[in-house]
Amino acid sequence: MSEPEFEKIEHIETIKLPFMLDFYPLEDEKYTQISHFFENLKEGRLTTTKCKRCAKPLWPPRIVCPNCLSDELEWVDLGSEGELYAFTEMRLGAPLGFVQDVPFCIGIVKIGGLLISARIDNAKYDELKFGDRLQLKIVELEDGRMFYRFKKP
Amino acid sequence: MRKVAIVGGGATKCGKRKASWRDLVQEAGKAMFESLGNLSPKDVDSLIVGAAQPERFVFQAHVAPMVAEYLGVTPRKVIARTELMCASGQAAIRYAWACVATGLADVAVAFGVEKMFMPDMAEAQTNMTCVLDRKWDGINGLSAPPFFAMTAQRHMHEYGTTREQMALVSVKNHHYSSMNPLAQFQKEITVEDVLKSLVVTPPLNLFDCSGITDGAAGMILVPAEDAKKYTDAPMYIIGSGQASIGNAINNLASLTEWVPLKIAAKEALKFAKITLDDIDIAELHDCFTISEIIEYEAFGWCEKGEGGKFIEEGQSHIGGKVAVNPRGGLLGCGHPLGATAILQAMDILQQFKGEVPKGRLVSDAEIAVAHNLSGPANVHSIMVYSR
Repeated sequence: MSEPEFEKIEHIETIKLPFMLDFYPLEDEKYTQISHFFENLKEGRLTTTKCKRCAKPLWPPRIVCPNCLSDELEWVDLGSEGELYAFTEMRLGAPLGFVQDVPFCIGIVKIGGLLISARIDNAKYDELKFGDRLQLKIVELEDGRMFYRFKKP
Repeated sequence: MRKVAIVGGGATKCGKRKASWRDLVQEAGKAMFESLGNLSPKDVDSLIVGAAQPERFVFQAHVAPMVAEYLGVTPRKVIARTELMCASGQAAIRYAWACVATGLADVAVAFGVEKMFMPDMAEAQTNMTCVLDRKWDGINGLSAPPFFAMTAQRHMHEYGTTREQMALVSVKNHHYSSMNPLAQFQKEITVEDVLKSLVVTPPLNLFDCSGITDGAAGMILVPAEDAKKYTDAPMYIIGSGQASIGNAINNLASLTEWVPLKIAAKEALKFAKITLDDIDIAELHDCFTISEIIEYEAFGWCEKGEGGKFIEEGQSHIGGKVAVNPRGGLLGCGHPLGATAILQAMDILQQFKGEVPKGRLVSDAEIAVAHNLSGPANVHSIMVYSR
């Protein structure tokens, strides 16, 4: 008996990163009502929404205040200097899209009365301390999308 | 409300299985039905399936009907899938219980399944980054290990908890899982093993973290008045508590004091009309060593900040103040997300029957709690079971 022969079929072609594996948000006004956040980043400003009625700063930015249901929100600056509240370093188990950066530091940063998570650049875990002063660092993807990180000065 | 009994159940072995998601479902289903001599798949009128991320891990949605098909079950009252990430299985138990308690269902299956091993483990880790708010936290690489690493770091900073104390949680739970044939890890380890294991996200090492796990489990719930038709030793659901506060890091009540757990625990005890001292077994969600330490505190078995000392003194071992994770915990047994809560409940049922190996048997246990946290510890879910 001869070996059976099979028609070869194509399985997969090289595809661009699918949307569902892309960490960075689609950020212009076609996709989100908080596009100002990203436009502000382009101007070098880290901002969030604050409710005009109850004056609460909200993080993440949003379009409705969950405290009073007002949709009259304004963009406020959070400043460009933060304080390190907690930190770690990704050494094992990095997700796709982050593997090439290992090891990298992740922290929780106090800024503008908020606690936000962020990548901490220019830092090694063993050299970081609680309360370290951090500088805002704005990054741009190849396609022009913006995001923020912090860095050790 | 009708009182509800769990009359039987079954599970797969957990671990890195040479089995597909569909294989796991069938193995657990067979074990579940074979645990009872006189209940057939056709008797089941309702099915709730806990599954955290089948869309991501196995590229499959609409999974409850698929489980029903493989189990040979044809639900005619209620069918749905529950997702509450690491507590997805407990959500399935809670809704199956609610269905039977209200009379909506008479024979309900609470099932849980997760196939987590993927050809590229970085892809599995990617799935875990959409557990936290993906746009604002996951985007920073914040999956579970970095989040709980920072929780541990703050707890060490604020209360003086030590790496050795955290390691003791893993040592204890691996000790018990060494006597659990379903466990992913059946080898004893030492404090030194934990501290010398690979660093994942400092201060957490590999043995501070529960595993990536394949597994499935299911159990059968009926009204208490029908329970004796199926078994001489049913287990009853006598209480439940659940609470959720915030989601993004900024909106959590606290990193180190799990306020929603305190609320859920208080609610669960009130519901069950018991006190902490009545609890013989606590299956607590030890996804990371630090989790179990904070859970001792939030339940109130020890003071805030004293969780490290509590394990050091052996208070959470069998024979201590409360037997915590005599099954082996998530650290020892693995953590197949959707299946975990069902596996906890099944082991409690076996404890009540005295059918676990002597070395991890909690003699004459009457009351147990099973707890799961999910996400950045913003959600806490508790069930109370009694003999």
